[in-house]
Amino acid sequence: MKFTLVVYGAPHASEGAATALRFARALLQSDHGIYRVFFYGDGVHGGSALSAPPQDEQNLLGQWQELQSAHDLDLTICIAAAQRRGVLSSSEASRLEKPAGNLADGFELAGLGQLAEAAAVSDRLVTFGG
Amino acid sequence: MPQSKSILALCRHAPYGNALAREGLEAVLACAAMDQIPEVLFINDGVFQLLEQNPEAIGEKNLRRNLQALPMFGVETLHICKKSLEDRGLTPDQITVAGAELKFLDNPGAFIANFDQVLSF
Repeated sequence: MKFTLVVYGAPHASEGAATALRFARALLQSDHGIYRVFFYGDGVHGGSALSAPPQDEQNLLGQWQELQSAHDLDLTICIAAAQRRGVLSSSEASRLEKPAGNLADGFELAGLGQLAEAAAVSDRLVTFGG
Repeated sequence: MPQSKSILALCRHAPYGNALAREGLEAVLACAAMDQIPEVLFINDGVFQLLEQNPEAIGEKNLRRNLQALPMFGVETLHICKKSLEDRGLTPDQITVAGAELKFLDNPGAFIANFDQVLSF
């Protein structure tokens, strides 16, 4: 089955953010596929390259990036939610006259239309956090 | 894109305590703009979104504007959980949304089960 995961939970703040990652991994280890992981609300912090958890804690950003490069995952961050919360690509940062971009490699900024499209084409849509 | 899946959006949060209330309505409007028109169900604290508000007092934009845009985007019926109203001391006659038809549901569980996809806000 084709799944879309919608993540509202902020990393290292809401368990939902970590559960989404484990769920994604479980899907990829089974016969299921992931159409898209859509980060919305506070979940957009999951795409911040500046996340720096202590070494003895799980590194959600690094794990998402590993999963992304191993499976060519579509990790989409809602651009409107991200701008409010300060997750910007370099080009967005320069367009908005902010000092720096911080969007992590492996993540893409896109509009809410990507959520609507994912809902239309996925067999299952599962929400984490919020 | 033709609508291939029936979509329900659950609005579960009070209007200003959590950004999900605003961002949920924004997502509903975005889906409708993509011709993926969802049904909307206000449930739990989400029913507070339907009351008149004075958010200027706390420096917020009025969420009622997003609500009132729904019928213009093709979301013409707003479903409302009757028990959620009663639990909060509210009555159906306190709720009006210009241009929208209001349906009060006794059994939201059965209603939710009818949909292919549920977006939960």
